[in-house]
Amino acid sequence: MEYYSPTELNEAYALLSKYGDAAIPVAGNTFFMGHREELFDEVEAVVNIKKLGLSYIKIEDDTLKIGATTTLNELFNHEITSSGDYKIFAETVNELNINEVRNMATIGGEVCIAGEVDMPTTLLAYDANIIIGGSNGTRSVSMQDFHLGYLNTALETGEMVVEVQLPKPIENARGGFSKFERTAADLPIVNVAVRLALENDGTCKEARVSVGAATLAGVPKRSIAAEEILVNQKIDEALIEKAAVASNDVECINDFRASSELRALWVKCGVEDALKKAIAQG
Amino acid sequence: MNSINLKINGEDCPVDVKTHWSLAYVIREKIGLTGTKTGCEMGTCGSCTILMDGKPVFSCLRMAVDAEGHEWTTIEGIEGDDELHPLQQTFIDDHGMQCGYCTPGMIIAAKALLEENPEPTESEVRKAIAGHLCRCGTYVRIVKSIMNAAEIARS
Ligand SMILES: Cc1cc2nc3c(=O)[nH]c(=O)nc-3n(C[C@H](O)[C@H](O)[C@H](O)COP(=O)(O)OP(=O)(O)OC[C@H]3O[C@@H](n4cnc5c(N)ncnc54)[C@H](O)[C@@H]3O)c2cc1C
Repeated sequence: MEYYSPTELNEAYALLSKYGDAAIPVAGNTFFMGHREELFDEVEAVVNIKKLGLSYIKIEDDTLKIGATTTLNELFNHEITSSGDYKIFAETVNELNINEVRNMATIGGEVCIAGEVDMPTTLLAYDANIIIGGSNGTRSVSMQDFHLGYLNTALETGEMVVEVQLPKPIENARGGFSKFERTAADLPIVNVAVRLALENDGTCKEARVSVGAATLAGVPKRSIAAEEILVNQKIDEALIEKAAVASNDVECINDFRASSELRALWVKCGVEDALKKAIAQG
Repeated sequence: MNSINLKINGEDCPVDVKTHWSLAYVIREKIGLTGTKTGCEMGTCGSCTILMDGKPVFSCLRMAVDAEGHEWTTIEGIEGDDELHPLQQTFIDDHGMQCGYCTPGMIIAAKALLEENPEPTESEVRKAIAGHLCRCGTYVRIVKSIMNAAEIARS
């Protein structure tokens, strides 16, 4: 197994193209090293992508841009992603209780796993776009379309994620994140992220309710039924309860970590909790 | 093999590593600093925690080959010339261990916490060691050791 640590994007793309599916880009290492036994037989080239200048958080043209190798703790601590319109990032990271993992794991790693992680659930609620780079240039894919299924993404051979972008949330937008896991070292069993845009009189203009980790699809899904209940209404406790009940339109997976019934119950509780957090943000 | 130079506890450690070797393995088996423990080797026990430029990370989840260019601190690197670090002392005085296997990782995580936050609350201490397992179940005394070390460090 060869190791490369390119300092130019073009060099990285050339390596990924040359080795094709036998190349693996690694950032924080935390997933890759945890699965090394399974992966080592298939991987011929490890391409470290941490020296490509992809660690940044900035706002340009009203768009939030986060470099793929930005760590979760960088998101937690950065002014832009820990307050104001985007503080949902810090709130999401706060629910991952292992400081050591937060110091290593990157946003690019989170979105590329397409499994039981937290950040994609939040990115789906915030209409994020994933910027993919390769030898032929870059392209943008919505978070919704980036995940094709469990551990399966829209990345083609030779490509990697270079950036995550968020359009500016509509004025008066608030977010909330909620999560269930057994212990700090466990992966999430259910996570929920919501985003609401409220008029001055409290009417909900736009709603996103995104459910992750628990879904039958293996990747985060929006609860369209819950969103429809919230839009054009003034949000109060009764409406939150109604939206939470409606979130059972997201089909839950049944596996050794939790039954689908338990997950459905926790999704309902998570939606309720996340909506209350969003409203309380006032 | 890749030839690299690791900076550990302020000293240069030149070493040849294979791409798939973890930093924990190299530190223990090739460099001989066995204070750092390995337990689960998948990021769920915390016993291999070391500091990367002052921040705690799991050395079992880090490829050694990309560990160049950072300052690494292991449990061997935290004591002063003649005396123990306050955390080492309080872990002894307050019995913050039984078998001792989780202790280096606990102390390293606690050191990073106290450097960032010299006056942590008990719940902040618990959060800082949330990724660490103590199979003897000594958590109450571990938390007490860290709280007392914080007090000593402040005075
Ligand atoms: C004990 C433990 C508990 C955890 N709990 C949680 C949790 O509760 N919630 C949570 O959200 N996360 C959790 N995580 C983190 C999560 O499981 C992943 O380990 C992490 O998100 C991976 O990020 P990384 O940067 O380390 O990825 P790496 O290990 O470097 O890479 C992961 C995968 O993504 C690919 N990849 C990475 N970056 C890119 C890129 N830019 N372009 C293309 N492909 C890329 C790699 O090829 C690899 O296949 C936990 C991790 C551990 C070890």
